[in-house]
Amino acid sequence: MSSEISLTRLIDPKRIAVIGASNSKGKVGEIIFKRLLDSRRRLYPVNPKEIVISGIKVFPNIEALPNDIDLAVITISAKASVGAVESCAKKNIPFAIIVAGGFGEVGEEGKKLEEQLKTISQESGIRLLGPNSLGIFLPDENIDTIFVEHGDRALDPGGQVACIVQSGSVGVEALGYASNTGFGMRAFIGLGNKCDLDEIEFLKYFGNEDKTNCVTFYLESIENGREFLEIARDIAKNKPVVVLKAGRTATAISAVSSHTGKLAGSDNIISGAFKQYGIQRVYDDEEFCDASKVLSMLPAALGNRVAILTAAGGYGVIATDYVEKHDQRATLKMAELSSTTKQKILDATFPFSACNNPVDITASADDNMFKKSLEALVNDDGVDIVICIAFFAPPGITENLIDIVARVIEDSNTPVIVFTKYGPFTNSSLRNFFLAKVPGFPAIGRTVRAARFLVERAEIERKLNSDNQG
Amino acid sequence: MVKKIENWFNKLEIKGRPNEFEAKRLVQFYDISVPDARVFVPKDRFEVSKITPPYVLKVCSPDILHKTEQKGVVLNVTKEDIQKQLNDIRKRFAGENILIEHQSDFEAPEFIIGVIKDPALGHAVMVGAGGIFTEIYKDVTFRLAPCSKNEAKSMINELALAEVFHGFRGMNFDEDKFAEIISNVSILADDMGDKLSQLDIKPIVFSQGRWVALDVKIIIDN
Repeated sequence: MSSEISLTRLIDPKRIAVIGASNSKGKVGEIIFKRLLDSRRRLYPVNPKEIVISGIKVFPNIEALPNDIDLAVITISAKASVGAVESCAKKNIPFAIIVAGGFGEVGEEGKKLEEQLKTISQESGIRLLGPNSLGIFLPDENIDTIFVEHGDRALDPGGQVACIVQSGSVGVEALGYASNTGFGMRAFIGLGNKCDLDEIEFLKYFGNEDKTNCVTFYLESIENGREFLEIARDIAKNKPVVVLKAGRTATAISAVSSHTGKLAGSDNIISGAFKQYGIQRVYDDEEFCDASKVLSMLPAALGNRVAILTAAGGYGVIATDYVEKHDQRATLKMAELSSTTKQKILDATFPFSACNNPVDITASADDNMFKKSLEALVNDDGVDIVICIAFFAPPGITENLIDIVARVIEDSNTPVIVFTKYGPFTNSSLRNFFLAKVPGFPAIGRTVRAARFLVERAEIERKLNSDNQG
Repeated sequence: MVKKIENWFNKLEIKGRPNEFEAKRLVQFYDISVPDARVFVPKDRFEVSKITPPYVLKVCSPDILHKTEQKGVVLNVTKEDIQKQLNDIRKRFAGENILIEHQSDFEAPEFIIGVIKDPALGHAVMVGAGGIFTEIYKDVTFRLAPCSKNEAKSMINELALAEVFHGFRGMNFDEDKFAEIISNVSILADDMGDKLSQLDIKPIVFSQGRWVALDVKIIIDN
C-alpha cells in the first residue's frame, strides 16, 4: 500500500497506548512501557491485570481508552494482537505497531493471522507497522519502542540518518556498531513483516522531511519494486538513498533458455536498477553504517582526486594502493599537488617531509604541522577529497588534533575523512572526532571506501539533475 | 510502433514461436541492422542473386535451440558451392526451413544484447561480452527497460570490454550507435510488454562501419 498519508502521528505521537504494559520485570510490555516513560508523552497502559504502572493509571481494555490516542504499541502475543488491532481500529486509533512475531514468518497459521491484520487495516483504515516489528526509535524525539538492548546511549543528538530495516537484529547490531564510533541517527524503523506500511511510505516520509539528510534501508524484499525505484530517484536528487538489499541469490526466472536469462539472476538486475535510479548499494551492516555516516556528514565530492596526509608512512602507502584500486562504485585518483601546496607543507614541517602525494610529515610532526599541512591540502584546487591519517602515537601529536582537524574542515568545502587507530581508545577517539563533526573510520580500506561513496554520490547528483529519462 | 508488433505477432509462421528470420524482422523495426537474407522453405528452388557471397546457411526453426552444436550452421559458403551445401543441410534437417544470409565480415570482439523479464521488476536489458565464453566471463550489466541512450552509455562503460570503445589497439567501434541500439532494444521490450519473456541478440558485431545483429532469438511468454 502506498497511498499518500502523513506518518506524523506515528513518528511523533503525543498520546501513546501500550497494549500489554506490565509491571512484571522482563516482559516485553514492561520494557517498552519503561522506555516510553522517558518520552515525556502521555502514556495509556492497557492491561486487565494491572491497576497502576509507574504511577500511571492502567486501563482495563482498549475500549476504555480516551478517544484521541495517536499510536498503540501492541506488546502482546500474535493471536491476541489481532483482536487488539481490531479494537484499536474501532477506537479510531490511526497507527499501531505490532511487536509480536509468530505471523507469516512461521507458517500457515501465522500467515492466516497476518492476513487478518491486513484485512482489518484495509477495511478500517488503521495503519499497521509490523507485525514482527522491532518498533521505532527517534533519539531526538525521545521515542523508543525497541524492547531489545540497543546502543542508544552512544547516539548523539541532531542525527540526520533515517534507517529503515526489515530485520530486527541486523538493524540493532548496526545501531550498536554505528553508535560506538559516533553516528547521527534521526530515526530507526523496524518494518517487520510489512503487512501494511512498507519501505515506500517511510522513503517518502523521511525523504521529504528536513530533519533527515540520508535515507538508508536494509531490505530482504522490495514490495512494488518499480514504484520504490521511481520515488527513490526523486528523493535521491536531493539526498542520498542507500540500500542494503540482502538475499542476493538468483530468483527463479521461469524456464530460462536464453543466454540473457542464464546471466541474469535477479541480483544483477537489482544492481543495474539501483545504478539507474541513483540508489547507492551496500552489502553488509558495516558498509551500511559507513555509507550513511559519511554521506550524512559530508557533501558530495566535487571530483575524484584524493590527497592523503599522514604521519605514518606505511599507512600512506596502503591508502594509496586502495585509492588506485579499480572499483565499480567509483574511480579515485591520487591528486597532483601544486608547487605552492608543496612549498607550504615544506615550510611548515621538515625539509625531509615527503610532499608528493601521499604527504608524509613523519612521526616527528606536531599538531601545528598537521594543521598547516591540512590547510594547504584543502586549499589546493587540484584536491577534491582529503584523507587524513590521524595517529596519536607521535610524541608531538596530542588529542588537540581532533579540534584542529575540525576547525580546518569547518572553514573548507573540501571533504576531509579521517582514518584513526588508537589501540583500545580507537572507538572513543572516533566518537570524539564525530562530536567535532569529523567522520572517521578505524580501517584504511573503509576510509577510502567512504571517499568513494562521496564520489559516487556526486555522479548520482549530476546524472539525476541533468537527465530526466530512465 | 506497437501496432507493427501486433501485426508481426499475428503473422508468425508458428503462433507464439518466432524463428530467427522473424525475430530479425522485429529488431529491424527498431533500427537494428541484420544481414541480407532469404528463407527457403523445403520446396523452394535455390535463388540468391540478391544476396552477395560469401553465404552462411542456417536451419531456421524455433525447435532447434542449439543449431551450431547440431551442425545446423554452415559458414564460408561460396557461390559455386551453395547448391551442394543447401542440399546437404536439407538432408540433415528434412522438412525445416533454411535461412541463407550474407556472411558479414567483422572485427572481434562480439557482443551480446538481451532482455529478460524479471518477475518482480519487469523487463531488464543487458549488454555484455559475446562469443562462446559469454557465460564464463560474465562481463555483463543490466538496466531496467526502457532505458535512455545515456544510461546505455554508462552500461557500456561498466564492461571490462569498454576499452575497445576508447582506442584499445586502435579499435574504432561506434559507441554512440551501440548505445542507441541498447536503448532501442529496451524500448522494444517495453513496447512488447508482458508477451516478451527473453530476447538474445548474440552476437551483435561491428561490421564495416555498422552494427549488425547476426543472430536473434525471441522467446514469447504464452
